[in-house]
Amino acid sequence: MITLDNIGKSFGGEWAVRRLSIAINDGEVFGLLGPNAAGKTTTIKMMTGLLRPTEGRILIRGYDIVKEPIKAKSIIGYVPDRAFFYEKLTGREFLLFIASIHGLGKIEALSRIEELINTFGIKDIENELIESYSQGMRQRLLFASSMVHNPEVFIIDEPFVSIDPSGMRRLKGVIKDLSSVGTTIFLATHSLHIAEELCNRVGVINKGYLIALKNRDEITSIEGGLEGLFDELLYLTP
Amino acid sequence: MNSSILLLRPGLLSFKNSINKDVILKRLPFIIIGIIFWILFYIATYKVLSYVRGIEFFGELISKKLFSMIFFSLTGFLILSNIITAISSFYLSRDIPFLLSIPVEIKDILNLKSVETIMNSSWMVISFIPPVFIAYGTIYKAPLSYYIFTAATFIPFIFITAGTGILIAHVLTRLFPAKRVRDVLLAIGLLLFLGLYFVLRSITPLDTGTPEGFISSIMTFRINSHILPGYWITEAIFPVLKNRDTDLFYIAILLSNGAFLFMLSVLIGERLYRRNLERIQPAGKGFNKGLLQDFYPNYKSAILWKDTKIFFRDTGQWSQLFIIGALMMVYIYNFKTIPVKAISGLLPYIKELMVLINMVMTGLVLSAVSARFLYSSVSLEGEAFWIIRASPVVLKKFLWSKLLYGSIPVSVVIVALVFITNIVMDVTGLLMFLSVGTALMLCISISGLGTGLGAMYPKFKYENIASVSMNLGGIAFMLIAFTVVLLTVLLEAWPVYLYHRATLIGHNMNMLEKVQSVLCAGLIVIINVIAFYLPMRMGIKRLEKD
Repeated sequence: MITLDNIGKSFGGEWAVRRLSIAINDGEVFGLLGPNAAGKTTTIKMMTGLLRPTEGRILIRGYDIVKEPIKAKSIIGYVPDRAFFYEKLTGREFLLFIASIHGLGKIEALSRIEELINTFGIKDIENELIESYSQGMRQRLLFASSMVHNPEVFIIDEPFVSIDPSGMRRLKGVIKDLSSVGTTIFLATHSLHIAEELCNRVGVINKGYLIALKNRDEITSIEGGLEGLFDELLYLTP
Repeated sequence: MNSSILLLRPGLLSFKNSINKDVILKRLPFIIIGIIFWILFYIATYKVLSYVRGIEFFGELISKKLFSMIFFSLTGFLILSNIITAISSFYLSRDIPFLLSIPVEIKDILNLKSVETIMNSSWMVISFIPPVFIAYGTIYKAPLSYYIFTAATFIPFIFITAGTGILIAHVLTRLFPAKRVRDVLLAIGLLLFLGLYFVLRSITPLDTGTPEGFISSIMTFRINSHILPGYWITEAIFPVLKNRDTDLFYIAILLSNGAFLFMLSVLIGERLYRRNLERIQPAGKGFNKGLLQDFYPNYKSAILWKDTKIFFRDTGQWSQLFIIGALMMVYIYNFKTIPVKAISGLLPYIKELMVLINMVMTGLVLSAVSARFLYSSVSLEGEAFWIIRASPVVLKKFLWSKLLYGSIPVSVVIVALVFITNIVMDVTGLLMFLSVGTALMLCISISGLGTGLGAMYPKFKYENIASVSMNLGGIAFMLIAFTVVLLTVLLEAWPVYLYHRATLIGHNMNMLEKVQSVLCAGLIVIINVIAFYLPMRMGIKRLEKD
């Protein structure tokens, strides 16, 4: 379970996120939607320990991300919106590195890496330096690396950027599989049709404030679905 | 507007936008440290020059010789530095794809990269050398025009070394059919070593057996060849230093050569740059699996394993080793040629003095090497630092891993340097033990200082790693590190002097001398512990922030 308890983040007195409270259940796929600069990435950075909340607290399966960052981070899988890698490592070495900093034993790490390399279709390039990877292949490697340690909570920022249709199909399958085994998934996206397809519940954030929280049934009852909700909240409301 | 000037605007605007009241206030402590360093450096140079000028008959000549030796060394250092910086700047910078995609002439890109190369390779010399010239000016009671003239003469000198360095970088990248730039750099390294070997051979003193032989050898050092820029600049500045008219011939030579070599580097660049860029594109396919491909690091060694792998694959990281190696070769060779035995008849305590000078010089090398390998180590994570931040890695362990990554090789190199120079000077016993022990202690404390300050002032977005140590923290590190070295050596000099004096007169040290020695030793330990511990602690705190 993920609990965002009245969190806020200010930069030099300007609030990027304010009074945000959401509780996300085990196995739930939650989508955080919003226009550019709404506060989605700031929220995610606070959830993953990259930024400290100015106020409120964040619990990841009971671990406070500020007070117990190591325990919380060890159960989080994180996919950022813009990922930078160690360009001079090969894809396989990068996965080995991630496995070892998560404390996986050698046998477990090697078998898990083999599995992920096949799942994400990066077998052909696993021994090439990351600097020669295309953007789509980097995104696949990123997903694979975020899953090496079998995270209980999966946090994804704009998941399908630069991914080709076949990669997208694989990823959607992975997200659904993870959810079915109880992994909590939090994704931030602009893509309404992806959110509509994958999420059990969505929250809409604008200018740092959560302005709507709807489950799948509530969304289907709205005319135009998620797009209709989005328009109503962000563009049509005076 | 001229495209070349237009291309410089982003850099200039970034610089302008980064200057405000807060930044100036933040930089104030570093400015003060800089001034303290200048004063110390000035005093040291002044003392040495006063002593040299006081030597009967030869003082004046040796003083001038030292002046030209400074420029000889600077020429070599700046050319090497320009070659390496030019390769990073012209061929490895991240902004190259952007620059090639916009509608500007290659010439404009070359101009921009030349300016970057000059700035990045010359800033250290421009920042650190002025106290030497001020000391010369004071000793000779030079007029104000000397200072203005020296600063102005430096400009064509910088252009000569930059033009030569950039030219060599283009030609080497062209000559070696390297799909990977590391091959080119390896070639450069070998050439540098060969070049240095021949230069050193040509300036070998003839006789170091007697004091007369030594002085005459200094006088016959062949560094004042008429074709070297160091000679031109010495001949141009020295008359002004002595309040006489300069020889316009040498000014003309400096200006014309500066302009010629710089223009030649641009002309050659225009011919070679585009093709060279295509040749050095990443090979992509076919990266060989290494012998240790199945090695799996444990949690504690993972970061060290990753850093070591990246180090050997990233040309930008290890290319400067060539410069360091070359400088060390020159350094040891210089000590080998100093006839300690011959001049010990002229000066008592010469061996002790040489050991202390060796410590200070090695400390300078240590500071420079640590700036590159320890201060930059946290910044080396680059924009991939999010991986560490989002992982269950204790940041204290991360920083210690960075410390180990840099400090082990740096300590081995520096301690070996002190040991070898002591051997060539025939230093043994207590002096050997003290100097090697002090060097090891300095390696540890300066490593902590570098790693800690590097964590306090990280620069995760950089064009090339060499530029990281150019930021505010980098300059502060160099200055603080050298101050720690100077204080340590000065504090050590006193007990060494007391001990040697007591030995010479055949007595044991008295109680007061013993107390003074213990106090000095205690202060040395305190200074070095603080230099290590405080920055490491502050660095960890800084990394734990947003």
